[in-house]
Amino acid sequence: MVKDYYDVRAVFKKTGRAIFISHLDLMRLMQRTFKRAKLPVWFTKGYNPHIYLTFPLPLSLGVSSECEFMDFGMDMAAGEPDFEDIKSKMNAALPTGIEIVRLYQPVHSHTEIGSCEYTADFYKDMPSSELLKLFDKFMSSEKIIIKKRCKVNMKKTIVDVDIKPDITILDKSSEDGKLHLSLRLPAGIRHSLNIVSMASAFESWCGFEFDKICLTRTKILLESGEDFI
Amino acid sequence: MLKDRIEKYALRSEKPSRYIGGEVGSVIKDKSKVDVRFAFCFPDTYEVGMSHLGMKILYGLKNARENFWCERVFAPDKDFEKLMRENDIPLYALESLDPVKEFDFIGFTMQYELSYTNVLNMLDLAGLEVYADKRCETDPIVVAGGPCVCNPEPLAPFFDLFILGEGEEVNLELMDLYCDMKHQGKTKSEFLEAASKIEGIYVPKFYDVRYFEDGRVESVTPNRDAPMPIKKRIIRDFDKVYYPDYFVVPFTDIVHDRAVVEVLRGCIRGCRFCQAGYIYRPFRAKGVDTIAKQTKALCEQTGYEEVSLSSLSTSDHPEIEELLSKLVDYTESEKVSLSLPSLRVDNFSEEILEKINRVRKSGLTFAAEAGTQRLRDVINKNITEEEILSTCHIAFASGYSTVKLYFMMGLPTETDDDIYGIVTLVRKISDLFYEVNRGVKGKFLSISVSCATFVPKPFTPFEFEPQITEDVLMHRQKILTDSFKSKHIRLSYHNHDVSLLEATLARGDRRLAEAIYLAWRKGCTFDSWDEHFKFDKWLEAFKEAGLDPGFYACRKREYDEVMPWSHLDYFISKRFLINENIKAHQGITTPNCAQKCSGCGMKKEFGGTYCG
Repeated sequence: MVKDYYDVRAVFKKTGRAIFISHLDLMRLMQRTFKRAKLPVWFTKGYNPHIYLTFPLPLSLGVSSECEFMDFGMDMAAGEPDFEDIKSKMNAALPTGIEIVRLYQPVHSHTEIGSCEYTADFYKDMPSSELLKLFDKFMSSEKIIIKKRCKVNMKKTIVDVDIKPDITILDKSSEDGKLHLSLRLPAGIRHSLNIVSMASAFESWCGFEFDKICLTRTKILLESGEDFI
Repeated sequence: MLKDRIEKYALRSEKPSRYIGGEVGSVIKDKSKVDVRFAFCFPDTYEVGMSHLGMKILYGLKNARENFWCERVFAPDKDFEKLMRENDIPLYALESLDPVKEFDFIGFTMQYELSYTNVLNMLDLAGLEVYADKRCETDPIVVAGGPCVCNPEPLAPFFDLFILGEGEEVNLELMDLYCDMKHQGKTKSEFLEAASKIEGIYVPKFYDVRYFEDGRVESVTPNRDAPMPIKKRIIRDFDKVYYPDYFVVPFTDIVHDRAVVEVLRGCIRGCRFCQAGYIYRPFRAKGVDTIAKQTKALCEQTGYEEVSLSSLSTSDHPEIEELLSKLVDYTESEKVSLSLPSLRVDNFSEEILEKINRVRKSGLTFAAEAGTQRLRDVINKNITEEEILSTCHIAFASGYSTVKLYFMMGLPTETDDDIYGIVTLVRKISDLFYEVNRGVKGKFLSISVSCATFVPKPFTPFEFEPQITEDVLMHRQKILTDSFKSKHIRLSYHNHDVSLLEATLARGDRRLAEAIYLAWRKGCTFDSWDEHFKFDKWLEAFKEAGLDPGFYACRKREYDEVMPWSHLDYFISKRFLINENIKAHQGITTPNCAQKCSGCGMKKEFGGTYCG
């Protein structure tokens, strides 16, 4: 069948109250946004037509992001898509916290993604130096073991995984009451580490609860290290 | 800060988007610029409450007024409730995330009896006393409306006032009055006095109830200058009444996640067991153009992929064919699916079926209610077996292979024969399917048979009737389980204990409030959820309150007995209810309103299509 749609990739931010929207809910939200914005998006041609839409790199509940993306199609029958027009119509129909930043025709496939960068802020009423010392000590452990759910021989099991080799610290700083990290973790279809797993590993190692933990995805990188978006 | 605590702990609970607001369509105002803040509470979870049409209507209606701000509040699920209590998070509203204790009004919609304990739990979570007389001058006015307040007596001590009947006008009148009196610096009791003069407002503490020694109500009398009886409110021009052109669109999946347009109010049928059929009278229809306009507006604003028509019996719309043609043209072009939940068997024509088929094939549902013609006549469910079978024939021939059947058990005059009647009817439907699909391989009919236990309700001809006892019910349920062995027939029925509690609360008096309070103190909430229902705690509560649920649920009332709700006027005359009850026992049916007026007491000026 002749392809009758243009591939479009939308990059959007997910911040504020929108971090409570789960991956599944985001799918529903975007489909309704297309309808509200009255955009000529492409529907699948099956028995039960629905909007063709994919979010290849899921973001955990509670994590903000500066750089989410989704892929969809624009109907060729409606002519060449005007990205600025789509952007403004979608932003008018989106809830607060979700904002389309950019639309373009994708060059890289999501299968080329290799890693993501994050910032992580840990809040606790403690002196600056102590917070930093705590983190350094955590990172100097020989292994950082987390429990990971996975399938072994088609059976669901929980296995211990050492995530220490996966964590690349790009920057760290602290002030009284707050530890700030900037880090890179593997992402993509071959190997990935969830920022939430890493943050909770640190929290449980500390043995106390932080008052607040703010996690933000800031960049998506190709395996080559170049920017994906 | 409260907002930080909410965000932190919401993330640790299931489906946190239920607790944080921010949905498309939610209304944010500047609280320093509004006069009256209303916390609209639904005493169940977000998924259930957000599916409720009445809340969407009143939310839009109140927020359309610049000086009012109405916000949504739902009962937190058990996991989040625990976190709220442990971390000092009071019940808050989803738009502002402000504690509801700071609001002017806290309003509950009472849709089912088994949500009563949730009301107490929510008031308590808000940091308020549950008994109205213990709350102070600066606490919000706590009000309730909805179908259950046609007998609000078991809830009376917890509320300042009840709103009877349809809310579109009276809610605004009440809030306007409050606004005026607040500016004049009047007290809460002065406000309640003035409010009680508004038609549709019932202030329970202005009335005293006296009881006979055996527990029956002797009299209900006003203890000051207060109206008697208290009349419910009715919208006279249903076509012109406010209807929202936007909904709050949830992030998470809710029970009814679709656009809904109300097409009818009231029902012409007069099924004698059905409370909705009487308390929502008179029957009024919205015009086809109005419905089409509202459908379009809602689909465009929400982006929903499905729209549903809401009514008690959609096929009774006087212009149903025209309505469907018009809507199907729109929904088809917009790739929206149209669903029609309340279709009756008898006027389910081939044309209607064809129109529904054009959009989506869902299951077929028949509310046959009783297994024999005799019993269907008793309950005035004017459907014949022939009609059921001929509709099934049309449906099966056009490809349907699932059927849902609703029945009730424990109806007045019911015998074992009526239960065997259910078995026979289900077999006939099954035989018909295989006859229609003769020679087609691998095609099976799946039937689900759902048997609810009949609960007698106020303002119905069966308000006098006793509920079935446990022994008889168990015996009749066993007849069904023994008869249906096929794996293609799925049988479900209600737990007797749940129905007994529902019957007790539905026809209870003010003394029951204590039992509700005690049950809640013993940990009962979410009573309508099987996994949370604690009947043993309820029995303890009744015992401690010195009350017997059997007295309320399983006792036959004489025609001249004063009912706990006798002082409320829903415009259904007692004479009519008694006549209908007599006719029921004689097995005589009553024609529907479109055929002939049966003189129920509804007045012509209320705008009913077939009245007067």
